Amino acid sequence: MVTRWVSVAVSIGAVLLAVFVTAMLFWAIGRDPIEAYAVIVHVFVDPGLLGESMARGVPIVLATLGLIVAFRMNFWNIGAEGQIYLGMFAATGVVLWGAASHMLPPALMMPTMVVTAFSVGGIWGLIPAFLRAKLQVNEVLTTLMMNYIAMLFVDYLVYGPWKDPHGHGFPLTIPFPDYALIPLIPGTTITSGVIACVVVAILVYYVLSRTKLGYEIRVVGESASAARYAGISYMQVALLGMLISAGLAGLGGLSIVSGIIGRLRPRASPGYGYTAIIVAFLSELNPWIAVPAGLIFGGLVTAGEALQAALRIPFSGIQVFQALIFLFVITGEFLKRYSLEVSWGRR
Amino acid sequence: MASTSKDAERKLLTRREFLGISGTAAAGIAVATAVAGGVIGYFAGQTSAPAAGPAKTFTKTITAAGPTKTITAARGLKAGYIYVGPVGDYGWTHAHDEGRKWADSHVPGWKSTYVESVPEAEASGAIESLISQGAELVITTSFGYMDATADAAAKHPDKYFVHISGYKSGAAGNATQNMSAAFAEFYQLYYLCGLAAGAVTKTGIMGYVAAYPTPEVIRHINAFALGANYSYRKRTGKDIKAYVVWLFSWFNPGKTRQAAMSLVEERNADVLAFTEDSPTTLEVAEEYTTKKGRKVWSFSHYSDMRKYGPHAHLTGQIVNWGPIYRDFYRMVETDSWETVDIWGRIGDFVPYRWRKPEDKSTCCKPEGVVYPAPVNSVVPSEWTTLIKQRYEDMKELIFEPFSLEGNLGEPIRDQDGKVRIDGKIVPRADHDMLWSMNWFVDYVKSPIPK
Repeated sequence: MVTRWVSVAVSIGAVLLAVFVTAMLFWAIGRDPIEAYAVIVHVFVDPGLLGESMARGVPIVLATLGLIVAFRMNFWNIGAEGQIYLGMFAATGVVLWGAASHMLPPALMMPTMVVTAFSVGGIWGLIPAFLRAKLQVNEVLTTLMMNYIAMLFVDYLVYGPWKDPHGHGFPLTIPFPDYALIPLIPGTTITSGVIACVVVAILVYYVLSRTKLGYEIRVVGESASAARYAGISYMQVALLGMLISAGLAGLGGLSIVSGIIGRLRPRASPGYGYTAIIVAFLSELNPWIAVPAGLIFGGLVTAGEALQAALRIPFSGIQVFQALIFLFVITGEFLKRYSLEVSWGRR
Repeated sequence: MASTSKDAERKLLTRREFLGISGTAAAGIAVATAVAGGVIGYFAGQTSAPAAGPAKTFTKTITAAGPTKTITAARGLKAGYIYVGPVGDYGWTHAHDEGRKWADSHVPGWKSTYVESVPEAEASGAIESLISQGAELVITTSFGYMDATADAAAKHPDKYFVHISGYKSGAAGNATQNMSAAFAEFYQLYYLCGLAAGAVTKTGIMGYVAAYPTPEVIRHINAFALGANYSYRKRTGKDIKAYVVWLFSWFNPGKTRQAAMSLVEERNADVLAFTEDSPTTLEVAEEYTTKKGRKVWSFSHYSDMRKYGPHAHLTGQIVNWGPIYRDFYRMVETDSWETVDIWGRIGDFVPYRWRKPEDKSTCCKPEGVVYPAPVNSVVPSEWTTLIKQRYEDMKELIFEPFSLEGNLGEPIRDQDGKVRIDGKIVPRADHDMLWSMNWFVDYVKSPIPK
């Protein structure tokens, strides 16, 4: 382990190195790197673009916070994407039911959507947790494959029973009424979902570090067998942990349909659940870092589009640029964990 | 016992180990990339120093717009496009990008930029990016961008917006006045392709590789089946059978290949039409024709794809979005904006719209917004003549595929036997029927997924 100062220096160094290499890449394809970086900074300054960045960051942050819970207990939940889709399904279901039955007062709409999206996402996550705890089924496979089931399930709904009857046959649900949308923070272009992210981060931190469940999650994460000797029920911890993990991803799904799109459509999540895996590792499984890291990633997605629009950097170039930044930061994190020892010849 | 428990321990990768492994891999790749990046950068600097020239002037035009504007540009206007795929897909996005270049070159003083591969959920960010880059006119080229475009139009009343393939516009009354809708409609061309298909098929079985069951794709399949049945019945007295395989994707060459092969192998189709953004179906037809000794025909889609299947190419549907974009450019430039809901069909955006006699027909040459690809000479001349005649008639909307005339004088029935177009109460399909078509004609034997 290294001292805090070295750690900070490594992080900054990694970012600077990433900036340098991408600058060379931009320069190699004939673009002015300084101007490229001006465009990226502009994304975080321009109110319209900042609003877009934050709206995209929210589902990433919520899914990341969920993944942190799962990864802390050494449960490789690759299924945030599917859990996001289930959350979108649940939130939309509440809106459609409310619109059809008029039984839900508008003021109760959003709270009901939140509870339902969390529960349905969470229940979806219980399946791989149960299979792992009971039958030792590898959760990487189950969570990953369940993503496709969730995505196709939403496809089925929007192409079939949930299709807007006045939508000319296009695969879309009805647009959400205003009271089912996530409002902006008054006076800004920023979605109030950002506040929700902070609140959820506090809750995740509290659960992980101040509760019995959080303790058990960490023990299971360090060593499943040690946990067993200590009398911790793996089944119980896995189920509760995944309920929280997948439930938070479900909330991420809610923030997509209510905060970005305003209705349900096929393939509504452009892979935010997978992005969240990267962000979870970038933030060292720390809920405090996850919030800014996820929001900044939302900004980088927007920056990718701004770079295309401003400098005609092709999409593949943008992908290389985004990948390089994360590669360097992850490498920096890795280097922090080990000290470098140079040895000559045999040890 | 001891060894098995050890093995069990080993299987569970701890977080630390995982980070260790992935970190090592990351570090390795990072170092390699840094080296490679340095080398590339070095050589780019060494060898292509002159190439850096034009790029520099390009950046200058952005930072210092004033002095470089020597062209007649009235206001130096900028258009921004959003594409759903990469510009190199040789399908939908490629066609739009060609249209963009065409419009840029036909209206002096306009510059354009674009953002490619934009997921539908992220369209609003791309629109904001284009506006922050000074775009006066934003053109969004996928159905999924409709809501985001309408929202942006309401948010930016001083900018102009065109959405492709949707139903929201000021003209339609469900968006602000600064938003228009436009579309290049292919169903007439699919009918002509069908005529060619029915004229050459041996098995009388048509295969269709289809993206999504949207009204657009459904009416294209129907139009193709109607056309194929017309010529096949005239030739043989029998009806065709058309089978559809759904991809649930607009661009998926792998799945398209499987779908096309299954239509040939399992259904015995010898003509393959398609709605998918790659030349894969045509390539499969070419493979059967040249390598597997089985004659299979296919078509061009969006662009002239003859080079992908020189022995299997029958005709096809081709689009030039350019004239549509040019008109929007001009409207913005001359402050004569009017919100519209355009369907570019045969005869639209053609200076001389009057139909011509067959021997002078402009069929299958670049014309207007949509036109057929050249018809393979294997199609007997009587059918080529009919294709030309109907193409010319459709310029003036004298002929309509979804009519009794398009179906050998018989009413058009759906798969349940219900008469949809009877020639009396419903003489021919109108905009609303085409726009929300959710039934197959009875020649199609596959169901519409529910």
